[in-house]
Amino acid sequence: MHITEFQEELLKKAVDAGFKEAEAYYERSESFQCMIFEGEIDSYETSEDSGLGLRGLYNGKMGYAYTEKIDEDSIPFLIESAKANAEVLDEDDGSNIFEGSKEYANHAFYSEELAKIQIQEKIELIKSIEKKVLAYDPRIVTLNYCVLQDFSGDRMLANNKGLSLKEKKNGLVIFISTVVKNGEEMKTGSFIKLTRDFGSLDADKIAKEAAEEALSNLGEQSIPAGKYTIIMRHDAAASLLATFTPIFSAENTQKDQSLLKGKVGVKVASDVLTLLDDPFHPDAVAGSNFDGEGVATKTHAIVSNGILETLLHNRKTARLDGVETTGHAHKASYKSTLTITPLNMFIAPGEKSKADLMASIADGVLITNLSGLHSGTNTISGDFSVAATGFHIKDGKISTPVKQMTIAGNFFDFINDIEEIGSDLNFLPGGYGSPSLRVKELSVTVD
Amino acid sequence: MIKQSIIENVIEAALSTGGDFSEVFIEDKYVNRLELQSGKLEKSISGRDFGIGIRIFSGLQSIYTYTTDFSEEGLLLAAKRAAHAIKGGANGTIHPLRKEAFNPIHQIAQMPRTVKHARKVEFMRKANEIARNYDERIRQVGLRYIDEEQHVLIANSEGKFVEDTRVHSRLSIQATASDGVEMQTGFYGPGAHAGFEFIENLDLEHYAGEAARIAITMLGADECPSGKFPVIIDNEFGGVIFHEACGHGLEATSVAKNNSVFANRIGEKVAPDIVTYIDDGTLPNEWGSLNVDDEGEKTRKNVLIENGILKGYLIDKFNARRMNAEATGSSRRESYRFNPTSRMTNTYIAPGTSTPEEIIASTENGLYAKYMGGGSVNPATGDYNFAVSEAYLVKNGKIDRPVRGATLIGNGAKTLQLVDKVGNNLAHGAGMCGSISGSLPVNVGQPMIRISEITVGGTKGE
Repeated sequence: MHITEFQEELLKKAVDAGFKEAEAYYERSESFQCMIFEGEIDSYETSEDSGLGLRGLYNGKMGYAYTEKIDEDSIPFLIESAKANAEVLDEDDGSNIFEGSKEYANHAFYSEELAKIQIQEKIELIKSIEKKVLAYDPRIVTLNYCVLQDFSGDRMLANNKGLSLKEKKNGLVIFISTVVKNGEEMKTGSFIKLTRDFGSLDADKIAKEAAEEALSNLGEQSIPAGKYTIIMRHDAAASLLATFTPIFSAENTQKDQSLLKGKVGVKVASDVLTLLDDPFHPDAVAGSNFDGEGVATKTHAIVSNGILETLLHNRKTARLDGVETTGHAHKASYKSTLTITPLNMFIAPGEKSKADLMASIADGVLITNLSGLHSGTNTISGDFSVAATGFHIKDGKISTPVKQMTIAGNFFDFINDIEEIGSDLNFLPGGYGSPSLRVKELSVTVD
Repeated sequence: MIKQSIIENVIEAALSTGGDFSEVFIEDKYVNRLELQSGKLEKSISGRDFGIGIRIFSGLQSIYTYTTDFSEEGLLLAAKRAAHAIKGGANGTIHPLRKEAFNPIHQIAQMPRTVKHARKVEFMRKANEIARNYDERIRQVGLRYIDEEQHVLIANSEGKFVEDTRVHSRLSIQATASDGVEMQTGFYGPGAHAGFEFIENLDLEHYAGEAARIAITMLGADECPSGKFPVIIDNEFGGVIFHEACGHGLEATSVAKNNSVFANRIGEKVAPDIVTYIDDGTLPNEWGSLNVDDEGEKTRKNVLIENGILKGYLIDKFNARRMNAEATGSSRRESYRFNPTSRMTNTYIAPGTSTPEEIIASTENGLYAKYMGGGSVNPATGDYNFAVSEAYLVKNGKIDRPVRGATLIGNGAKTLQLVDKVGNNLAHGAGMCGSISGSLPVNVGQPMIRISEITVGGTKGE
């Protein structure tokens, strides 16, 4: 059954079954992934899949259901399930289906050029990267991951209020994890890059960066535990920011799950901090022209010079707070209910290089990687205590790598303690970005 | 789910370019998820996941493709698209499919799909009341209920043809406490490979009460000091430390390519005599249990470390080739979207002889980790990290005051050598484990154990 026919019939039957309003959200994607091990293709994966979610207003309540089996039989399953799910909800929370924004941006998240690249060409690139990394230095033992993945997909949102939106996206990711050894000391370093510009991928440059990232971790030394001035490298800073974005969600402030409740217009961070969300940022690759409810997206300043300008809203939270939606309704997939997340949230860059940020630090720590973020952080209290990789900064310069560390602090203090912001803005594949940050202090413990 | 003749054609098409093994994995899964927040049922969603994964081996190359297109034409196209990755070679042998019957170990009394949502919500509300009533400082309680009914059909060119139904039920409770200034949370998430009977028989007073108690305890807690201390880790979910610190390093995923500190060390002493580490997918109705793994192999009890000696690894069919070893019934995948690989099921430290009281009484100065949070590990180096959700200082053989923000870091192989007490109170806890073949239900377990020294990272400093 063709998808547009299926959507039309589903919406019609849903209305016949008593749904006042209904929306069909469809996604289709294709992917290719290839992992190289010692010059050979170790694993090769392709996929083509699709699924559809129904969201509908039944007796004033919003019911949800989804299926990956798109055939005639699934229509009654979707309608009956969505009805049962609506019926069990406690109350009419005032949600409804959106009739559409006046205007939508027309930003492209799809590259025709990328779509034309042949599988063979991609395999050759990733093979040559592996070869170049292995040849880079005798201390490189192996690559425990050397993966190229590309994806393309489209999503369609249609509802019985006449809204019909479509968007295409694609992208390509390279992920490398290099294992290095010197005597008994074993370290790893990882490299990840998401792009739509295949031509920009230079095997020599990638191999050098991947190899250096791992090699730089050799020669670790211990340093005394204590409070240190911190340089948080751009990628570590972006991953910390990504972990704590739930604090900016109005859904969480409304449920007493965020300490930013009642703080709009109040200073919550250092004067130097400006936090933006730009769905169309050219460096971010991720992004979208419409959100999970079909609202047109746009750029927002979340924090300007330390002042909280707005929370992230969908239509429901905006109505409860008496403001306009910010277009941050998020549907992770057709399987998901609506949540709130930023699109490409990033810290606005400053002017100094990472080296300049470090120059005046007599005794500090440069953090290059954080792990255990899913477990060592509490987005409600803001507390974090996570494992970290990094370097000792001595007399304004990187001295040696430090043994496995933990860094501990509180995110609300952290954003107040940012002293300077670097110029090296970089985005993670998930769409979160940051330049390197100089932070007053964090507790560091060394293994 | 799909006609046998179509499956046979797909297996054949997958081998048409020189592959030596092919497999079809069909999944049809019904899911219900409900969420109660602030005493209100706010979210309820149902769905059906349906798709097919096709896998081909050609020597040490593994090819995987998946699709949601279940037409014969779509499936053959997918098989050919995958086969296209192999160049030349003789066609593999195809054995006729023989249906394998087995007696399911994990009996399901009440299929969740036959239970009305309202009945599920009743138990969520009860748990909510218990947690709310625990203390007036409990400001927010979040309940998540999930049930899944997964039907799988696994067939391969060696003639295997197995069907299985897996049912999972879980109720997670998160309590948030606040004194007006700060907020702390407590969590408990019991789950089982079982039907709705698991929810009906759940001791809600215990689980919801504990979630609330942890939040309240942490609210008044001091900041955790940093340093190197003996650490006592309590039973049940405490086993997460060995899941990360050593379980992942025993998976063929890292062993086969020598990316693990445990590679090529069978027969070596890797831990003190008191440590025996087991992965057992047959424990009746446990969260990480299965009748057959995702390659259709029966699950079994795999002894990984026995009295400190490394005995075995967790091995899937593909890595078995590189390792020249037998598969161990340990191959798992989140769904048809994942190429399966060796993963843990229910992994635990076997009980020892010390009583918990003895272990605490014999610790002069240390940290007692009553409930562990999650953690992660770098399998290549064995470096791990964990959050402790409820921790106390131990002073002169007695549990002293609670502390918050404790993180444990170290190296798995080294920490394993430092286990100096193993208690007699083995218990298992449910968790989700994320790795290359997706997010899977696993149990972690242990009795109370003590490690003579771990680096503790805290906010307070030394």
